[in-house]
Amino acid sequence: MKKRKTPFLYLACFLLMGVLLAAVPADPGYQVGDAARDFKLKNVDGKMVSMSDFQDAKGFIVTFTCNTCPYSVAYEDRIIALHNKYAPQGYPVIAINPNDVQASPEDSFGHMQQRAKEKKFPFPYLLDETQEITKAYGATRTPHLYVVQKQPDGQYKVAYIGTIDDSSREPEKVQKKYAEAALDELVAGKAVSQPNTKAIGCTIKWREA
Amino acid sequence: MGLVAALILWPAATALAQQPVQTIKFEQLQEIRQSPHDTLYVVNFWATWCKPCIKEMPYFEAANQQYKDQPVRVILVSMDAVQDLEKRVVPFVQKRNLKSRLLLLDEPDGNTWIDKIEPKWSGAIPATMLFNNKRKQYEFVERELTQEELEKLIQQYKP
Repeated sequence: MKKRKTPFLYLACFLLMGVLLAAVPADPGYQVGDAARDFKLKNVDGKMVSMSDFQDAKGFIVTFTCNTCPYSVAYEDRIIALHNKYAPQGYPVIAINPNDVQASPEDSFGHMQQRAKEKKFPFPYLLDETQEITKAYGATRTPHLYVVQKQPDGQYKVAYIGTIDDSSREPEKVQKKYAEAALDELVAGKAVSQPNTKAIGCTIKWREA
Repeated sequence: MGLVAALILWPAATALAQQPVQTIKFEQLQEIRQSPHDTLYVVNFWATWCKPCIKEMPYFEAANQQYKDQPVRVILVSMDAVQDLEKRVVPFVQKRNLKSRLLLLDEPDGNTWIDKIEPKWSGAIPATMLFNNKRKQYEFVERELTQEELEKLIQQYKP
């Protein structure tokens, strides 16, 4: 009896290995409800920034955005407005540029500094040089928002993934403020009723392998 | 005489030279997606502001030319805002003399339609879908394609 079990064990091991190997490359990043990792990335002022630096924050509006994408540019003023509205309520913006500088030269650190100065960004604007954080979060386009909420155990739980509103091109025609709706619910201690939204955006410029 | 002929032929010649851009709503895109014919549809989502889209566009144009006598339909769907149609999209199409079928999807709120056409799509462009509904074939790619990759996909699916 004992001997006959061995081939099945081997088979089970092979099957399990197959499943594990197949699962690795297709990692889509975070889903709503997942714990998001902290990061330590260089800000336009030259200092390193992590979420853990903000002791009083209740969460963050982690915004993958860049200098070059017209959608990002169209949303700059609205990202500033989001920060100015929600930072006092505990949810500041942390902007992260995910684009590889070789693939998108105008998204270089120098250009980021210039853009942050021109627009007087009131929030950190960080460069994800290795694209490690962008991949971990699963961001695919700019702008791409991840609202995370600090938990009692210190973890950052993803509460919202998606877009800012329903009208990228014409701010005056906005009907649905998706991100604000989610943030208002979080601030009020409610569950987010629409935690996933989508929009057309520029693909993230990945480093050539 | 020659001038008169030129004047008469000129509008026809320009009409032949490049495709007009047709503005559509989501329902019309869905109709194309559900087209029952034994035809391979190659639908590419692009915009004039999207650099990788512009980079891969000649491959779609070449495929359109190469398979024009076969049941393969290349459709380029612009994500540009409808307000930019005359100012940006039409000049772009004229400058590049695009020959594939050109649509502009006038649906500013991606959240209302992206999941309906493809739940796996995050909304980043370029993105391309290939389908032949008669043969229940479907493939979706959310990234820039090389000419070899596009050629391989068309060869794989064309009836």
